[in-house]
Amino acid sequence: MAAATAPGPRGPGAEGGGSAASALSMERIQSLTDLADLEAAYSRLCEEEKVVQEELDALLEQQSTTESKMVALHRMGPNLQLIEGDAQQLAGMITFTCNLAENVSSKVRQLDLAKNRLYQAIQRADDILDLKFCMDGVQTALRNEDYEQAAAHIHRYLSLDKSVIELSRQGKEGGIIDANLKLLQEAEQRLKTIVTEKFDTAMKQGDLPQVERFFKIFPLLGLHEEGLSKFSEYLCKQVANKAEENLQLVMGTDMSDRRAAVIFADTLTLLFEGIARIVETHQPIVETYYGPGRLYTLIKHLQVECDRQVEKVVDKFIKERDYHRQFQQVQNSMMRSSSAEKIEPRELDPILTEVTLMNARSELYLRFIKRRIISDFEVGDSMASEEVKQEHQKYLDKLLNNCLLSRTMQELIGYYITMEEYFMRETVNKAVAMDSYEKGQLTSSMVDDVFYIVKKCIGRALSSSSIDCLCAMINHSTTELESDFREVLYNKLKQGFPATTFQDFQRGVTSAVNIMHSSLQQGKFDTKGIESTDEAKQSFLVTLNNVEVCSENIMTLKKTLESDCSKLLSQGFGGEQAQAKIDSCLSDMAAVSSKFRDLLQEGLSELNSTAIKPQVKPWINLFLSVSHNIEEEEFSDYEANDPWVQQFIVNLEQQMTEFKAGLSPVIYDTLTGLMTSLIAIELEKVLLKSTFSRLGGLQFDKELRSLIAYLTTVTTWTIRDKFARLSQMATILNLERVTEILDYWGPNSGPLTWRLTPAEVRQVLALRIDFRSEDIKRLRL
Amino acid sequence: MSMEDYDFLFKIVLIGNAGVGKTCLVRRFTQGLFPPGQGATIGVDFMIKTVEINGEKVKLQIWDTAGQERFRSITQSYYRSANALILTYDITCEESFRCLPEWLREIEQYASNKVITVLVGNKIDLADKREVSQQRAAEFSEAQDMYYLETSAKESDNVEKLFLDLACRLISEARQNTLVNNVSSPLPGEGKSISYLTCCNFN
Repeated sequence: MAAATAPGPRGPGAEGGGSAASALSMERIQSLTDLADLEAAYSRLCEEEKVVQEELDALLEQQSTTESKMVALHRMGPNLQLIEGDAQQLAGMITFTCNLAENVSSKVRQLDLAKNRLYQAIQRADDILDLKFCMDGVQTALRNEDYEQAAAHIHRYLSLDKSVIELSRQGKEGGIIDANLKLLQEAEQRLKTIVTEKFDTAMKQGDLPQVERFFKIFPLLGLHEEGLSKFSEYLCKQVANKAEENLQLVMGTDMSDRRAAVIFADTLTLLFEGIARIVETHQPIVETYYGPGRLYTLIKHLQVECDRQVEKVVDKFIKERDYHRQFQQVQNSMMRSSSAEKIEPRELDPILTEVTLMNARSELYLRFIKRRIISDFEVGDSMASEEVKQEHQKYLDKLLNNCLLSRTMQELIGYYITMEEYFMRETVNKAVAMDSYEKGQLTSSMVDDVFYIVKKCIGRALSSSSIDCLCAMINHSTTELESDFREVLYNKLKQGFPATTFQDFQRGVTSAVNIMHSSLQQGKFDTKGIESTDEAKQSFLVTLNNVEVCSENIMTLKKTLESDCSKLLSQGFGGEQAQAKIDSCLSDMAAVSSKFRDLLQEGLSELNSTAIKPQVKPWINLFLSVSHNIEEEEFSDYEANDPWVQQFIVNLEQQMTEFKAGLSPVIYDTLTGLMTSLIAIELEKVLLKSTFSRLGGLQFDKELRSLIAYLTTVTTWTIRDKFARLSQMATILNLERVTEILDYWGPNSGPLTWRLTPAEVRQVLALRIDFRSEDIKRLRL
Repeated sequence: MSMEDYDFLFKIVLIGNAGVGKTCLVRRFTQGLFPPGQGATIGVDFMIKTVEINGEKVKLQIWDTAGQERFRSITQSYYRSANALILTYDITCEESFRCLPEWLREIEQYASNKVITVLVGNKIDLADKREVSQQRAAEFSEAQDMYYLETSAKESDNVEKLFLDLACRLISEARQNTLVNNVSSPLPGEGKSISYLTCCNFN
């Protein structure tokens, strides 16, 4: 292969090669005939030869180096063979190593597996050792009466994987282990019996440390329910003993004792506080040794005892306080109207207070256990499903709603409401019967008294902490105020305000009828009748004031109750509907306020039409007797001796003084408002019956101005509006000529808004005797 | 409560023996639910539902009362302000029907004389356990001059009809009352001025 590339020695082959390499082929040269061409070919060949010669020379120069290289190559030959051999060997080795590596890694994997199994085996072995240890330990512990240790062993045994136990039985020592296992199970049973016995003994001896000691052991033996129930039994016994003691104390309480009137409420309080303290004290142990969510079970057991004790206390209460008999009597009194057997409401006062206090304590206690159970469930249920949570909520609701305590209290409150309603109604009746009025006062005693009573009764219901009880009493109060008490005031107003003049006779008849009527309705009230007119007048005015104050008091009461209730609700009493219920009941109560306001309006218009109108009307009618068809002389005379308006004002003032003194400022104001309207209407009537000269018109204008000026001083309302029509009439009566009206009418009216129709304008113009009717007719209005 | 969001406001109080299904009727109507295993009502419960009748918003305040005797004095306090009473019995319980006269006496004693009373026989889904025939109840209600209806809160039978018909009757009653214009005792349900339209055609 070296020969192929190496330049060979010169020879004919090379010659031929040379000619072959030449640009001129032999045939071409042989075919040449022309000299010039031959010469050209020759020179070219010569040049080629020269080049070839040079090339050959260069090649020859390289010969020695090529030869030495060839030598070296020859020397390398055997080495290459060696390398080839080595390479083949290496390849063999690599293949081998590769196989080896693969073998090793699979072994490692196997080793890993083996290791894991080993660990498991060790764990099992440990467990089995533990089991053995437990077997041995439990015996020793039992012998040493170290029950905690024994229970710990049993607990360990119980928490072992059951397969471990199976496994250990399959071992070589299966027989021994089987026997040991049997021993262990026996030990478990024995321990359970021992712990139960020891617990019972400790319980009997009232040995709290021992009780707690064994209480802590139950959960280790998997006896959570049993432990809780046993412990509860112990706690219940404590509760029962204490309650028994307290009840004995109650029976020995002196009636003069400061707390005698609420002694049963106090006893319940002690009972509840005792249970609450027990829960507080033992909750940590239960949580620690039994885990969260177990407090419900404990309290459920305790509640049974609580119910039992509550029943005893309430039974005693009912017996000692004659609760049922009093209720019966109240019911009878409400049914029959005969006053002879009526129970004195004052006698009910203490018992009503005590019942509400009892209920308040119960609500407080129930709220306490509710909160405790909820928070205990919450800890346990943090990861639980919605269903479990609802289930727990249901348990809780059931416990709270169905316990005897709740039912008993609901029963007591049921009776309470009826009795409280009776108390309120009867006391209100009394306040009405004993109504008195002191000179200088605007209202009479019964308004303050009635609201004091209503407030007291609702306040007492509120103090029971029962929202339903409160709402019921708000409802009853609304009824009492709206029907009964409003009726009283309504009947008083119906007697009317006696008129002093010619209406006396007429009014007298009506009020006699009214008195008879209301006596029939009200039983004993108002039978004394009204002796003198003055008294009757005063009574009417006082009643008006009473009605107004009632209307205001109701709103005040509503506001007070709103804030009281929000306090109660903010403490967590009442269900989700509580606020809505209270709001609804209170808004019903507030509606009564406007009914009183309506009554006030009725009374005032009655006063206006029976007392003011009969007086004012004749005074206004006097206007007719004063001629307004006057000349200069009479006009001046009128100026000196006012013919009508001054006296009218004096009369008005006199009349209103009486009302101003007897009525509250607000009512008085409304009354003057009614009166001014009346005056405006009546004055318009007489005006249209009069005739006027030019000066008469001026006189009327003066009179009207005086009157308005006076009325402005006595009212806080703006009265200009009420007198707008009259003022416009005065303007018309003051015109120089008929056509002058056009300066004020229609497009010329400016800021003035006419309150008179065109027909009325013509009618007023016609009152001027000096205006010709043709001119008036001709007017275009 | 503002007056703007409704044209009429009526108070409806449900009464009747314990366990006849008052709470279920109210739940069905107000929430569309039939809660099985409903516990006994404690005191009174309170729900609101606003319905539209002939374009007018009618707010119904529904008071669901406890049937148990010990709550009687609480529930009685709600009678007087009620515009309507739904007196409920259980068609599968003779006892609940036999108590009706006693309930009527309570109504007589405590409710306003303008109150509308509806007699409702509930639980018609339990037809095979029926103890009170429709005819008996119809005769009874006729004698007492009461509107009468049988319902199933469970199957939602006639529940809507009960409340909506009642609302219609309350509206027309309220209108008549304002037309008569009895000043001393206006019906509390009034929310706005009145026109002469007569309602209602609900079925």
